[in-house]
Amino acid sequence: MDTQRETEREGNLATRVDDVWVTIVWNDPVNLMSYVTHIFQTYFALSRAVAEARMREVHEHGRSVLSSGPREKMEADVQAMHGYGLWATLQRSGE
Amino acid sequence: MRGFVAQGGDAVAILDDEERLVVARIVADVALLLGADAFGEAYSDPAPATDVDDPFEFLRGLEESIREPSDPAILRLLPNAAPTEREVADEFRRLTDGELRAIKTRRLRRIWDQLSRDTYSRDTDGAGSDEWVVPADEALATAAALTDIRLVLASRLGLVTDDDANRLHHEIDLAASALEGDDETALPVDHERVWLGMLYQALTWLQESLVEFVARTDEETDV
Repeated sequence: MDTQRETEREGNLATRVDDVWVTIVWNDPVNLMSYVTHIFQTYFALSRAVAEARMREVHEHGRSVLSSGPREKMEADVQAMHGYGLWATLQRSGE
Repeated sequence: MRGFVAQGGDAVAILDDEERLVVARIVADVALLLGADAFGEAYSDPAPATDVDDPFEFLRGLEESIREPSDPAILRLLPNAAPTEREVADEFRRLTDGELRAIKTRRLRRIWDQLSRDTYSRDTDGAGSDEWVVPADEALATAAALTDIRLVLASRLGLVTDDDANRLHHEIDLAASALEGDDETALPVDHERVWLGMLYQALTWLQESLVEFVARTDEETDV
C-alpha cells in the first residue's frame, strides 16, 4: 500500500510540479503571544520582527500562512507546531 | 509562588508544598489523558529508578491513531491537521499520533519527576527546597508542556475565543470578591470552575515567566 502511495506521489510530482501546500497557524485563546513569537522565530528561522508580525496576524486575523512547499514538508511543519501545542493545519495552496 | 527567573544558568521558580502538589497532579492527569501509564500518586510512591522505554509505545499509538479523539481536550492536543481533506488528515494522524503523544508524555513525566519530593530532597540541601529548577536546555520543552496542560484546562473551562478567556478573568475576580465579602446578594460561586480557572491563570503566569527566560537566553547566545 505504501509502495502504491509512493508511486502515486511520484506520478503526481511528474505531472503536477505546481502541487504546492501551505501550513496555516490558527488563533486560539490559550497560547501566549510571546510563546508563539518565539516558536515562529526559532522553528521557521524568522527574524524577531517578522515572527512578531506573523503572530499578530494570527491573533488579529485568526490565521497566518507560515510556510509553503511540498506536502511532506508541510506535514513535518504541522507536526512540529502540534508538538508545541499550536493549532496548525495544512492544505493545498490557493484553496 | 514565584515565577521563573534566571539563576545560575537555570530557570528557577518557587512553589510551596501545596502548589507543587497541585501542579504535579495536573501534570499526571494530562499524561493519563494522552494514554500514558499512571505516574503514581504524587509524593507517596517513589518514581521508578529507571525510565524503561516501552517497546510497544509507538505501536499502541498506531492503533489509537486511526480515529479522531472524542474528548475535545485531547483533540486540542492532537488536532485535525487537514479539515478540508479527510484523507490527508487521517494519514497525518496515522503517521504522527504515536510520536506526538510520546513527546508530550515524556515532557510531562520530566516535570513530574522534577516536582516529586524524592528528587527534591536529593537535589537540594533544604534551604532551596521550594525551588522548581528547569535547566536552560529543557526550558522550551517545559514551556511546551505547560501549553499542553493549559490547553486541557481551557477545554474543560470552555475557552474557545479570546473573549471567553477575558470573561474567565472577570469571573474569577468577581468570585474572589464574593468569597471575601459577606455580600448575600452576590451570585453563587461555582467553586470547581473558579478553582480550575485560578490554576489556569497560575500556569499562564508561570509559562509567561519561563518564555521570557527562554527568549532572553536565546538573545544572549545569538549575540
